[in-house]
Amino acid sequence: MESSDGEAVDKRRVHLRPVTLRDPAPVLLHLLPCEVLVNRPAPVGLFFTPAIRQGPDGLEVSFRGRSLRGEEVVVPPGLVGYVMIEEKGEVLLGKQDFSEGMADDEQEERELVEPPEALERDFDRFIGATASFSSFTLWGLETIPGPDAKVRGALTWPSLAAAIHAQVPED
Amino acid sequence: MDLSELERDNTGRCRLNSPVPSVCCKEPCVLGVDEAGRGPVLGPMVYAICYCPLSRLADLEALKVADSKTLSESERDRLFAKMEEDGDFVGWALDVLSPNLISTSMLGRVKYNLNSLSHDTATGLVQYALDQGVKVAQVFVDTVGPPETYQERLQQRFPGVEVTVKAKADALYPVVSAASICAKVARDQAVKNWKFVEKLQDLDTDYGSGYPSDPKTKAWLREHVDPVFGFPQFVRFSWRTAQSILEKEAEDVTWEDSQTGDQEGLKRIKSYFSKGPRARLPHRYFQERGLESATIL
Repeated sequence: MESSDGEAVDKRRVHLRPVTLRDPAPVLLHLLPCEVLVNRPAPVGLFFTPAIRQGPDGLEVSFRGRSLRGEEVVVPPGLVGYVMIEEKGEVLLGKQDFSEGMADDEQEERELVEPPEALERDFDRFIGATASFSSFTLWGLETIPGPDAKVRGALTWPSLAAAIHAQVPED
Repeated sequence: MDLSELERDNTGRCRLNSPVPSVCCKEPCVLGVDEAGRGPVLGPMVYAICYCPLSRLADLEALKVADSKTLSESERDRLFAKMEEDGDFVGWALDVLSPNLISTSMLGRVKYNLNSLSHDTATGLVQYALDQGVKVAQVFVDTVGPPETYQERLQQRFPGVEVTVKAKADALYPVVSAASICAKVARDQAVKNWKFVEKLQDLDTDYGSGYPSDPKTKAWLREHVDPVFGFPQFVRFSWRTAQSILEKEAEDVTWEDSQTGDQEGLKRIKSYFSKGPRARLPHRYFQERGLESATIL
C-alpha cells in the first residue's frame, strides 16, 4: 500500500557530495544477524571488538548473550564500500560543497555557487561519505554465515548488472 | 588457587585441577561433586569434584571440612590450603563456566537449560577423574531439584560406580563438603579478580552478592546498561532480572528466530480471498539475495 507519506518522500531529491568520496578514512564494520531497532552510535570498540576471539571455526563473539560466529567478507574487486550519512539540520541550501579545504573566513567571503537547479528546503537532501571499507565482518547466529549468505549473493549483483546492461554488439 | 588460565580468557569454560595423588589410582576412592554460584546473575558458575581413597576418608574428615555455606571466607581459604597440603591423598578438579557461556547456552537457538548444563558439567568432571586413572568407587552429588532422575542418569552413565545424589549432600558427606569448598573458593576468587572483557573505564565493582534479590546487585545492573550492547559479559543475560532490566532500559533487538507471532501468516491466507491486485514481488534472484530497490532514504 502506498501511503501519501511515502510519496512525499519519493519526490525528494538526494544529492551526493562528491568531495566526501575522495579520501574517507577506512573503518571496521560488523554486520550482525539481528536488528537493533534504533539508529544511533554505539560503543563498538568498548563492548564488541575486545570480546572477539579466534575460534576453531572462525571468529567468535556474543551479542546480548547470544553466540555469534563470524568471517571476513571482501568487497568485490572494482568496488568500494562507503558509509553514508545524511547531513541534517539547517543544511545550507544552495551552498554546495565546493569549498572544502578553504579557511573559514575565506569560505564566508566567497560567493555561493548556485548549482544548475535551484534547491528547495524539505525537498533536496544531501548525503556524504564519512568512511570507506573494502571488507567487513559478517556474523551469523551460532554458525558461520558461509558461502550461501544473502549478503554474499547481493555482492554479485553489481557485476551481473554491468553484464546485462552492457552494449551487445549487433550480429 | 591459581586461576591465571581463567584470567587469560574468561569468555568460555576453564578446567583446573590438582595433580592426581598416586594412591588414588591404586585404591578405591570416594568422590564428591558440588557447585558454587548457580543462582547469581553475575559471574561464573563453578563445578568441583574432590576425591580421596576410602581408606583415608577419616583423614579428610579430620580436617573438619563442612558445608561451605556455613564457613566464613577465611575458613574456606584455610581449609582449601590444608587440602592442598594433603595433596598426597586428596585430589580436586573444577570446571569454571563463564557467565558468557551460561548466557549463550541458555539463549541458544536450541535452549540448553541450566540443569542440563550443570548435569553435563558434573558428568564431565567424574569422567575426567576416571580418565586420569582415579579408581572411583563411590560418587556423592549435591543437587537442587529432584535427585531421583539425576541419580538414575548418572548411575546409567557410570555403571561401575555407586552413585548417590542427594539434596544437602554438601552437609552430609565430607567429600562433598570438600568439593563445595573448592568450588566456593574458586568462584569467590574469580568474581573478586574478574577481568572485564569490555574496555570500560572506572568500573564500579561494588555489585553486592551477585544474587538477583540483592538490591545492590540490581542497582549495579541498572547503572551498567548500555542501550545497544546491554551488559558487560560478566552478567548472565539469560537471567530474568537481567532480561527485564534490558526490556525497560535498552533498545529492542529482533533476531531471525525471534517470536513474531503468526499474524503475518494469517494475513497471507486472507489475501487469497481478497479481490485487490496482488503486490508484484521482485524476481527470485533479488529475493534470495535480500535486495530491494531503494525508493526511500
